[in-house]
Amino acid sequence: MTRMFVDAWDPSYGSSFEGGGGEDGPASPSSAQVDTDVEVPAAEWAPIDVAPGVQRPDVVFLVDGVRRNDAGLWTQEEDGSSYAGLAASFAAGVVRCDLARGSAEMVGAEVRRGLFTASPSAQDVQTQLVRYEVRRLEGPGEASKLPSAVQPKLTELELEISAVARGGTADLLVVDGPLRNRRHLVNTIGYVKTQQKQYLPATLTPVVTALRAGQRTPVFHLGTVWGGWSWYLRLPGGSGAPWSGIVRVECSPDLPPEQAIELAEVSSATLPRFASSAYKDPRAPQNLVPIAGLERRLRGMLGDARVLHRQLTVATARNRT
Amino acid sequence: MIGVSDEAEPTRGGKQNAKSQVDPVGRVLGTADATPLQFWTAVTPGSYLQLDDVVVTQRELPDREPVTIAGVVTQVRARHEGAQFDSDVFAIAEGTLPALVQEAAEITTTRVDPELYVPPAPGAVVHRATGAARDAALHFDRMERRIPMGTGRDGVPVFLNADFLDGTRGAHVSISGISGVATKTSFATFLLYSVFRSGQLGADGANARALIFNVKGEDLLFLDHPNTKLDQPTMAAYKLLELPATPFSDVRVYAPPRAGDSSGAPDVSSRLTGVDAFYWTLEEFCEKKLLPYVFADADDERQQYTMVVHSVTAHLHRYAVPAEGGISIDGRRISSYGDLVDHVVEQLTDDDTRSTWAGSAINMGTVNAFARRMIGSKRDLSRLIRGDLASRRPHQIKTAESAQVTVVDLHNLPDRAQRFVVGVTLKTEFEEKEKAGTGRPLLFVVLDELNKYAPREGTSPIKEVLLDIAERGRSLGVILIGAQQTASEVERRIVTNSAIRVVGRLDPAEAARPEYGFLPPAMRQRALLARPGTMFVNQPDIPVPLCVEFPFPAWATRKSESGPPPSETMRSIVQGADPFAVVGGRGAVDDDIPF
Repeated sequence: MTRMFVDAWDPSYGSSFEGGGGEDGPASPSSAQVDTDVEVPAAEWAPIDVAPGVQRPDVVFLVDGVRRNDAGLWTQEEDGSSYAGLAASFAAGVVRCDLARGSAEMVGAEVRRGLFTASPSAQDVQTQLVRYEVRRLEGPGEASKLPSAVQPKLTELELEISAVARGGTADLLVVDGPLRNRRHLVNTIGYVKTQQKQYLPATLTPVVTALRAGQRTPVFHLGTVWGGWSWYLRLPGGSGAPWSGIVRVECSPDLPPEQAIELAEVSSATLPRFASSAYKDPRAPQNLVPIAGLERRLRGMLGDARVLHRQLTVATARNRT
Repeated sequence: MIGVSDEAEPTRGGKQNAKSQVDPVGRVLGTADATPLQFWTAVTPGSYLQLDDVVVTQRELPDREPVTIAGVVTQVRARHEGAQFDSDVFAIAEGTLPALVQEAAEITTTRVDPELYVPPAPGAVVHRATGAARDAALHFDRMERRIPMGTGRDGVPVFLNADFLDGTRGAHVSISGISGVATKTSFATFLLYSVFRSGQLGADGANARALIFNVKGEDLLFLDHPNTKLDQPTMAAYKLLELPATPFSDVRVYAPPRAGDSSGAPDVSSRLTGVDAFYWTLEEFCEKKLLPYVFADADDERQQYTMVVHSVTAHLHRYAVPAEGGISIDGRRISSYGDLVDHVVEQLTDDDTRSTWAGSAINMGTVNAFARRMIGSKRDLSRLIRGDLASRRPHQIKTAESAQVTVVDLHNLPDRAQRFVVGVTLKTEFEEKEKAGTGRPLLFVVLDELNKYAPREGTSPIKEVLLDIAERGRSLGVILIGAQQTASEVERRIVTNSAIRVVGRLDPAEAARPEYGFLPPAMRQRALLARPGTMFVNQPDIPVPLCVEFPFPAWATRKSESGPPPSETMRSIVQGADPFAVVGGRGAVDDDIPF
């Protein structure tokens, strides 16, 4: 008989651009080259417990960003044509979790706002309180493409913020989402909450689903453009469904395999501590507690959406006259 | 007499905080309504505000000078910002969830200057008020004469407006609190000391008299003895209040005669020197119509025999003739209270004489009820009403002829005798004042257990006197400092006539009563855990009660901590044995009795 599990993720997160629900397995198989013999030969793959002697870091940095679309706009050009515009606020911040001292604080955060449009004539919009700088896009700039244009700017901000916050130290930095162009950061792991692609061959998938809370798979190597060393990890607090609580962690491909394995050890000793519980967070357990707290604070920093919307309306109306 | 520090005078209201303008303590909150009378302040991280702190903020106005809004902290709260669930606190303490601890303080406005009731602007900087700003916030700057009451929570003196104590604009003090921990009597005596010694009342303060009834223990009998346990911090506290740390200087102690002792020696066990006995002679008892004060229970007044009491009083007044200390009535010599009672009862029960004593319309049951109580009073009063002691010997309590502070010891007396002494003494003093017709010198009357003497229900001769004091005493210069465990059980007119209301530790059920409506809710809650030495004082010209800590007494409160007695008290040893001593000799004189 088929076992059934209720999805713990709030359905409204289903449309998130990051992917499907938290307990879905990878939807589509990946064509990437996967080397599964990095840590142990593929034939010997089995869940790995946290080694007893592993060094748990006292200080962990976590970086994340939030974004919000404040208003959709339309421009009216001299020649009568019109471009879509998107006024968006985005913020990135870093939490420094000092587990030894028992304090988590936001060590850096910044809010930026932008007017994303392809219009060649658009000017910055200055409202009574804030300023939306024009970030001009190439191409026709359809309205549907605009939201995804915000993401690179946000990633850029996250990079800046995390470099400043760490201030040259080499404490562990957890980046929300794949590493992509952040792979040059030292001692940094990417944390992927949702599994869209099935990287492992079908024969090894049961190893992932057989993971118990706190266990990880051996490290494997992804041969894609943004690939690198990667491993799966199961966080505590999932519903028990085969893919619930499973996250994929990755680190820079530039590291030697020994360092990647070391990072994998550290991550499986560290990340489960941050797992959230289902009754508090609709994206539990993958949405880590510090990240959730950070996002709340960042959302607060974005300002009140209704106030900003009204101010944008007033400012653009004033510019027209 | 008036202690003045010979050192450079410190700024009144404490040292000016040099950093007050550059060191703001917080900002007015915008997430809660700010109103002209109450607003919330977010406290800057790294700073703190505690209850009773005085703060000040400004509101800029177009075309006008800025409005200064000052107030005191009436509530403080701290919470985690960024936490959604109660259990988030564990994640925060573990160091996994980022959150901020934010403190906020509720400010109750005490002064708006100029009087333009606008709310402070959210975001406005709030400063701790010190020096002149604090004085202004608490209206001390408008007090012409201010009597130090102790220090606030911030360790800076707080004052009482003398206008509301000496009758200029108000009078009377009502002190409530649980007995034992509320330190009601200590506060009353400290207040008196401050009146006498601060010099704020000028000549009135120096000439003022105090009449203190000591109802519990012998702790008020050592007011003129230095306290050997006086330590450096306490001396510093007195210095801060600009008061000398010395005992009361001019004290006369009266105690009832020892029961069954024919010499009339005062009945005290711990204080041996400087105590005089007080009593009334039978002649005075009849002459001054003191009999009603024997029946001073509230339930006495409800009985039928009141009529008999008044006729017998009148009869004694008319027919008793003084005879060598005792009296002679109906041709019979009576030399003790017991004899008098027996005689009266005998005359009343005799059918032939009853009508001349009590009138004709009195039935036997009423006479018997009167006789029963009369006989019952023998045991309690025979030591106070005497016919066997020389009438020339000074034995009366008269503040005008006594020392600055007159302590009447009642603690050894049974209830009926206590009522008799309090009632007669207050009546005599008040009548003296009425006769003098002037409000000076001031007379402060300290009376504990006011709920016993002036209960809310019923009437009694004592209650009449106390009501008279409460309602007319202000103009006659008689100031009542009444203390009670429960203000709700004291005659309402006495409580409402008190300009100054003081509360120490309160019983939770009592604190909820409307008599304490002047306390804001947070302060009412605090009154439940007020420590000894902490009082909440409400005075008419400050809209918020002030939390006051008054220093430990500089005078002894019990035998064990008492230093050597002052030299004046030696005089009384001689006097106690000498029936020819100078009547009403003032206490502060150091010279010997002239033989």
